[in-house]
Amino acid sequence: MRKNAWKKEQERMKQISEAVKKDQILYYFKTQWPVLLAVTFSGLIYNLGLLAGPWFEGRMTGCLVDILGGKAGYQDMLVLVTAYVMSIAIVQISRYIKRFYVRRFANNVNRDMKEILYRSLVHRSRAELEEEGVGNVMTKAILDVDDCAEGMRKFTTEIYDTGVALAAYVGMLLFYDWRLAILGMLFLPVSYVLAEKMKRNVQRTGAAYKEQSGDLSAATLDRDTNAITYRVYGREEERRQAYEANLTDYETSAVKTNIWSTAFPPLYRIISMTGVLFILYFGSKNVLGTGWKIWDVAAFTTFLSCFLKLAVKSSHAAKLFNAVHKAQVSWKRIKPLMKETTYEDDSLVQEPGTLEVSDVSFAYPGGEKIYEDFNLSATPGQIIGVTGAVACGKSTLGKTFLCEYPYEGRICFHGKELSAMTKAEQNGMVGYLGHDPELFNDSVRNNILLGDDDDPEKYLKAVCFDGEVAEMEEGMDTIVGNGGVRLSGGQAQRLALARTLCHKRPVLILDDPFSALDRKTEEEVFANLRKLVADSIVILLSHRLYLFPEMDQVLWMEGGKVTAGTHEQILEKFPEYARLYEAQADGADAHSTQEGGPDHAEK
Amino acid sequence: MQKNKRQNVKNVRSVIRQTVTGYAGLSLGIVLAVAGAIVTALLPPWILGNIVDTITAGNAVPVALVILYFTFTVLTGLTESLREGLLTVFGQKITHALRSSMMEKYTNLTAGELTKQEPGTIVSRFVGDVDTVENLFTSGIISMFADACKIISILVVIWLKNRGLAIVLLILLPFLYWFTRTVQKNMLKAQIENRRAVGRASGHVPETLHNIRTIHTLGKEHYMEERYDEYIAESYRAVDRTNFYDAIYSPVILILNAIVVAVVMLFSASGNAKVLTLFGMSAGTAVALINYISQIFTPVESLGMEIQTIQSAVAGVHRINEFYALEEVPEKYSGQKTAEPQNRLENPFVELQNVTFAYEDDSRKILHHLSFQVYPGEQVTLSGRTGAGKSTVFKLLLGLYQPGEGKVLIQGRDAFQIPENEKRSLYGYVEQTFHRVPGTVKDQITLYDDSFTMEEVREAARIAGLDATIEQLEKGYDTLCTSEIFSQGQWQLLSIARAAVAKPKLLLLDEITANLDAQTEEEVLQALKRASEGRTVISISHRVNAETGRIIDI
Repeated sequence: MRKNAWKKEQERMKQISEAVKKDQILYYFKTQWPVLLAVTFSGLIYNLGLLAGPWFEGRMTGCLVDILGGKAGYQDMLVLVTAYVMSIAIVQISRYIKRFYVRRFANNVNRDMKEILYRSLVHRSRAELEEEGVGNVMTKAILDVDDCAEGMRKFTTEIYDTGVALAAYVGMLLFYDWRLAILGMLFLPVSYVLAEKMKRNVQRTGAAYKEQSGDLSAATLDRDTNAITYRVYGREEERRQAYEANLTDYETSAVKTNIWSTAFPPLYRIISMTGVLFILYFGSKNVLGTGWKIWDVAAFTTFLSCFLKLAVKSSHAAKLFNAVHKAQVSWKRIKPLMKETTYEDDSLVQEPGTLEVSDVSFAYPGGEKIYEDFNLSATPGQIIGVTGAVACGKSTLGKTFLCEYPYEGRICFHGKELSAMTKAEQNGMVGYLGHDPELFNDSVRNNILLGDDDDPEKYLKAVCFDGEVAEMEEGMDTIVGNGGVRLSGGQAQRLALARTLCHKRPVLILDDPFSALDRKTEEEVFANLRKLVADSIVILLSHRLYLFPEMDQVLWMEGGKVTAGTHEQILEKFPEYARLYEAQADGADAHSTQEGGPDHAEK
Repeated sequence: MQKNKRQNVKNVRSVIRQTVTGYAGLSLGIVLAVAGAIVTALLPPWILGNIVDTITAGNAVPVALVILYFTFTVLTGLTESLREGLLTVFGQKITHALRSSMMEKYTNLTAGELTKQEPGTIVSRFVGDVDTVENLFTSGIISMFADACKIISILVVIWLKNRGLAIVLLILLPFLYWFTRTVQKNMLKAQIENRRAVGRASGHVPETLHNIRTIHTLGKEHYMEERYDEYIAESYRAVDRTNFYDAIYSPVILILNAIVVAVVMLFSASGNAKVLTLFGMSAGTAVALINYISQIFTPVESLGMEIQTIQSAVAGVHRINEFYALEEVPEKYSGQKTAEPQNRLENPFVELQNVTFAYEDDSRKILHHLSFQVYPGEQVTLSGRTGAGKSTVFKLLLGLYQPGEGKVLIQGRDAFQIPENEKRSLYGYVEQTFHRVPGTVKDQITLYDDSFTMEEVREAARIAGLDATIEQLEKGYDTLCTSEIFSQGQWQLLSIARAAVAKPKLLLLDEITANLDAQTEEEVLQALKRASEGRTVISISHRVNAETGRIIDI
């Protein structure tokens, strides 16, 4: 037992230390070491092996001369040619391995980062997420990781293709004439320093561009989510013009950032190339025997071509800087989202128990009190109806149990204070269904089960939705569309209720779950609800009162005060409640209608 | 005057053509810069040849020649820089034009197509796919053209120097073409798959944000992570396949290069007279040919690099063209005079004449020969069983759909033909749920229409009974909207303010009671009634109160 606990503790510590590292860019290089090892190995073979080509070509030419002169035979050429093809094959296969694994490395990093990012996102509180625009979070998550992984790939590639190759060329130049080599390379640092100076502009315009591209995504998303509203109100032409303005801003910022990162590298190369003036002048002196070293023409051309390759490669290095800068801009934005990767268990479903609420009041941070004097004592199996005028704070009262913001007073379950519980305990105690059914773009089955192992049929029956689902073309496997668009309002509500019932909790908060149902269905669902969650406490927020006589308790909200009692007690005490109840009892719908034929038909 | 005269933009190609001709100066500049970069790059090696010849002859190199060499090197750099800059500007012009025309297309889509689009995919169509088209110009097509020119000129030179080698290359070229096409096709397939997976994965993020409360309370974080991982893994597999083809292409080409060199060497070393008539050459020619062979393979190799860019663009173009093919609303009678509205009280304000309607892809008829009239100032309620088509009647009145048979008339005019700018003053539409737009409280009411005065905005809020609540907000009407600032019922009231601000003659209330308690509903209806005499109201409601007036059964 003890050993086990110790092991667990170890495991936890390990997770924490990993969690700390995941917002370090080095972490990703370290974890990918097997892939990077393959890259290193093949990268070295490839870059050093590049010299094999010219060497063999020279030998073959020499051999041809010998054959023409009768000094060598066909056999010699055959051996040479075979060795040549073999060595090129080895070099090129290494190149394939390097290219493939560098990309796999980027691919792995991309996947890992996105997963961490998503995990971090999905565990964030709603309040936090609200403060950032949807479009921004989206571009952050998708575009930034792509840019960042791409930058890391280029960096890794260039370490071998530029770094190793540069070192080889520099070594060769120094070997031929160290004084001329230093003189020629004097201008390389100037080019680097300039590239470094431009870094700030690259970053600044890069950040501005990211922001514009976030705005553009957000505008596109809005244009699409509210398309019908804009059409019905005749605002489409104006929205189109506003989008056009977005596009113009985007174009300006994109041109700026791209000019900084693409139009400048050729200029850096010009600066690197300045050294060629010295090499041509002093190099020709070397050949003529008046310089620092004695050269033949071959040495002169080799030195010159080495230098030209070096200058081109070093302008690649400037390009590499830009790629790394771009990655840094993205990384800076991702980094704060990459922290905290250890999370507690998702939820600990709790046993039924009694709920004691005393003197609870609630206000949004910095706002006025929404309600006060909330007192309630409930035992398992009770259904409590909550009602009041519009904006009386019903929904806020329901959301109080989610602990998204702190409340005052005491909410005790099993004698334990709700706000003192861990998030997992809270989630295991309270089930919540708000106005928005919050459906997923997935099948009916998956929307109910959300990965659990259960029979969705009985929940569909309980919410009187089984018949309609059976009639759908693909039954339980019908995809409900984004946010449930392919369902009618009433269907979406019932599906969400089925999901809530499938994930039963000892306390269920249902905010107006029947608003789009006709009365007959509502009554049927209500009866099923009683049976199916007989040991849970249900808090039902509603403005339709004909079910309220059946409630075990009623909470009436008026003027910021919450009063608990039976239906009869509240009826007696509050004339407003009586009036609402009477009005609805009189005007009860005779049609048993249910909204939403058309949406339904649109699937 | 109707200004939405439609351009005949039907695909990516036509947009590009229009951009090229629209920015003729820019396009010409690019041609000149590209040609300039090629020519200036040709000169330095020629000068260098002269320098080497001078040294070989044992003479000192004139300083002027050295400077000339460097000057042309600088010119090459400058023209390249210019080319890159112009290409960037041009690429952005193309993306701008593409997005503009796509938005225009989007504006003309039928209501059916609009509801079918998923926000995640629309964003990736407008953002990601268009970006790949931009890459097509900045780093794809133009360098590919330059490479093609190089290949042809080298082939000509080789033909003149060594016919045998030219024949070998000509035999090889079909194989090269086949290999390149195979790589292209497989990459395209993998690219399209990847884009789909990326679309799904990026759609998963907004969905998570939207449903975050459910995910948290049900403790489904882990489940959502797994689903996201699945989408990412799909994209991973597709990208991995793309990477395979991308990585294999160049090495295969270069090994071929070596084999060709080996073959030519072997033949010229054979000593067979017949072979030598085709392959015979001196050592000098051998050196030159080795260079030429690698020069012809280098552009083919960079073609391989450009394939990657072009293929992803083709996948993007493919999907954008799919978008362009979506169904459009038939053009309204623009230019022609639309019928004048009939304002006389004895004429029906709203009239359905023998209307039959079915949604497309659905054989089920929603409305069968439906007829009714609503007269100015009347308040009526539509009622009927589930799926009877109450909301469909609204959609027809709002001009979202056209009836299959019969006529839908507002003030004697075809509802579908009502011009955009007359809609708001003609009718206001209140739905069951409020559609929040990004912006301030005022924006929610006006929907960015600046022609409303502040007084009109306040008046609309007053009608909705929301003025006091809004005044209490820190910045009043200029408060930025987040979902927390109003309760559900208050948002509903706000949608009434949105409908009422233009003082429309007709109000369409769809399930307005669903989220309002009886008292507020009553207040709102009373307020609307007081606010405008003679306003016509049509509502859909479960409850039939005394206030709802005449009932029309569907």
